[in-house]
Amino acid sequence: MRKFSMMMALVMSLTLLLAACSGNNGGNNANKPGSDPSAAPSNDVGAPPAEEDITQKKVSISIYYPTPDRVEDRALEDDKIKRFNEVFPNVEVIKSDWQYNPNEIGIKMGANEAPTLFNTYASEGKFLAEKGWAADITELFNNYEFKDQMNPVLQDLFTVDGKVYGIAQRGYPTGVAVNKKMLDEKGIAIPPFDWTWEDMLNTAKAVSDPDAGISGIAPMGKGNEAGWNWTNFLFTAGGDIQSVDGGKVTATFNSDAGVKAMEYYNQLKWEANAIPLDWALGWGDAVSAFAQSRTAMVIAGPDGPVDQGLNQGGMSPDDILVYPIPAYEKGGKHYGVLGGDFLVINPNATKDEQEIAFRYATFDYFSDKGLESLEQNIQARKADNKFYVPAVLQYFKSDSEYGAKVTELFGKHDNVYQYGQETLGLIDGKPESQFNTQDYYGAMTNVIQEVFSKEGVDIKAQLDMTAKLVQEKFYDTIQP
Amino acid sequence: MEQSTAVPISQSKPQTQRSGKIKRYMWGYLFLLPAIAIFTLFLWLPIFKGVMSSFYTIDFVKGDSFVGLANYKTVFQDADVLVSVKNTLYYMGLALVIGFWVPILFAVSISEMRRFQGFARVAAYLPYVVPFVVLYGVWRWLYDPVGPINAVLKSLGIGQISFMVDRAWSMISIVIMETWQSFGSAMLIYLAAVLSVPREWYEAAEIDGAGVWQRIRHITLPAIRGQILLMLMLQLIATSQGFQTQYAMLDGGPNNATLTYALLIVRYAFVRQDYGVASALGVLMFFALSILAIIQFRINNRGGVES
Repeated sequence: MRKFSMMMALVMSLTLLLAACSGNNGGNNANKPGSDPSAAPSNDVGAPPAEEDITQKKVSISIYYPTPDRVEDRALEDDKIKRFNEVFPNVEVIKSDWQYNPNEIGIKMGANEAPTLFNTYASEGKFLAEKGWAADITELFNNYEFKDQMNPVLQDLFTVDGKVYGIAQRGYPTGVAVNKKMLDEKGIAIPPFDWTWEDMLNTAKAVSDPDAGISGIAPMGKGNEAGWNWTNFLFTAGGDIQSVDGGKVTATFNSDAGVKAMEYYNQLKWEANAIPLDWALGWGDAVSAFAQSRTAMVIAGPDGPVDQGLNQGGMSPDDILVYPIPAYEKGGKHYGVLGGDFLVINPNATKDEQEIAFRYATFDYFSDKGLESLEQNIQARKADNKFYVPAVLQYFKSDSEYGAKVTELFGKHDNVYQYGQETLGLIDGKPESQFNTQDYYGAMTNVIQEVFSKEGVDIKAQLDMTAKLVQEKFYDTIQP
Repeated sequence: MEQSTAVPISQSKPQTQRSGKIKRYMWGYLFLLPAIAIFTLFLWLPIFKGVMSSFYTIDFVKGDSFVGLANYKTVFQDADVLVSVKNTLYYMGLALVIGFWVPILFAVSISEMRRFQGFARVAAYLPYVVPFVVLYGVWRWLYDPVGPINAVLKSLGIGQISFMVDRAWSMISIVIMETWQSFGSAMLIYLAAVLSVPREWYEAAEIDGAGVWQRIRHITLPAIRGQILLMLMLQLIATSQGFQTQYAMLDGGPNNATLTYALLIVRYAFVRQDYGVASALGVLMFFALSILAIIQFRINNRGGVES
């Protein structure tokens, strides 16, 4: 148990220390007159502005840098910095291995310690934009020569009210990773890719062996991931999280579709006995359980469990099948919540720093150098006897010229995991809600835990109560 | 003339005394300075700032805005606050029932041992140095539905227990784990107290025919009463702030069954990024803990005199 001083230091000293660091002036140097070193002096007003060569700018940017355990990724980043400096010789690129964390971003921004360019997730776009923690890069993006080839499914997630706040890297519609080997060992028929809730339930029930600690499926049951996992079923049942009408946000997840989705979870637990007995699993726990063959199915962005299964669980590519989220009924949609990785530019950076950071972020995009770099990464993994697991969605349109080149490159290497075409044809991404996504996930986690821990819960009453809570606590505070 | 000569003499005396005192205590004051600076910077000012923050909406980028008592209103309207208070009290109570007597029992038992006393002390203290990450991993395995504890229960014909996700068991499981981890530290304090009891008292009692239990009941326990009271207050203060295990193992679940007050503060601050409400919760907790701290301080002083 920690002493009070620890928590006080976390919560109370935070404001003082961070305010001291940032000077509590908003920290937005970009908005301060004269803060831009490249700004023309006032006595130059009237003179025609000289054309500036951006490659000769002398600025310093800090960039998102992979953690020490990702040796290959670090080598790639080092190579990129070297090549970037050949084109931008006066730019100092400082490596920051801080990984975006929703629990830390406030502290980082308050202390003015967030890197100039940092990574984030798909769900954070609106949140960062509203908090003022992501720079408006609309102008930079509109001037970007490849903007029309960027994958709109991803890029649009960081476009809020017509303004661009991030640069897509990779993404996914949530799917289901299936441990085919476990099914084969039990002689269970492999379900069709165009599967339904019922197919999933039957498969999970058949493979489940609670006495041996084996579950058919491990829906996440701890943290906000639980709500996120369940939302896939809400979507496939035809439901939605909220509706927005004239700026008024209304909770809708307690609809009939929500009831169906929660009843399905109830069935998985109490009728099929197909989920882990210790169901309080977060993303890491559930994906690890999959890689250790303690569960036959896990719901996640497909590349995560596949990567863990292949590179840490010692599974072979033939052992893993990637499915879309099952449809509610035959012929229904296979919606999966859209997720992914993005790069965001610090709004506290000067305009020059922001432009250089944008150019750094997109330096390898759509370039042959980027392809070379990717191939080196694949080869390095091959040398380490590891697989390269691409994201389902890339920053570029899959049907673009560049997309064809990448597909060709992946086909050349046998250590690149290939998703089944049938799955890719069925899988359908759906963006998260616009407002208070994490608050909604957190509230739903409580309902899921209630259903998993008690038999015979009044599902409709639970959903109504939670919808009322979310409505009053979060949605009603949103200004139209 | 006499007066004019007397005044400087009478004035110079206190000056000399003062300068003498300053000289005498100068090094002491200088040694105090770093502590005062550190306490001011990292404790008193943050506490003051925390109180101030509880009246503001904190926005590190756009600047803070004064909201009066709105954050306190949010606290009192949030149903989770009541849940967390109840859970915290339950957790504190469980820690007393399950864990408080364990170090006393071990200290008394070890003090009665004639052989292997050193080994027993080290063995009991070892769990305290186990890193938390390892501790959580080990106990997650122990509590697993097909883990060793459930295997034993099964062999005894007792049904499987979901230690982590059964709401009736989740907090109890946490307390058992924490007791195992931390009793060694408290045991050393009790053991020191027990070993400081004069041996003659025990010898006299033995001559009078007192058995082990009578010696413990009439000599040991009364002799370490001050330490027991002190440790009681310290444990209450510590458990009232518990959140680490609840957060790491269950994130406050299942369905808020392990959501403690301190964990709710962490959620407000670092999940909802609402530092104003988190500060308001912290301030309320600060006042509640201050009462316990004052009681502890008084017991400490009284215990010190008695011992």
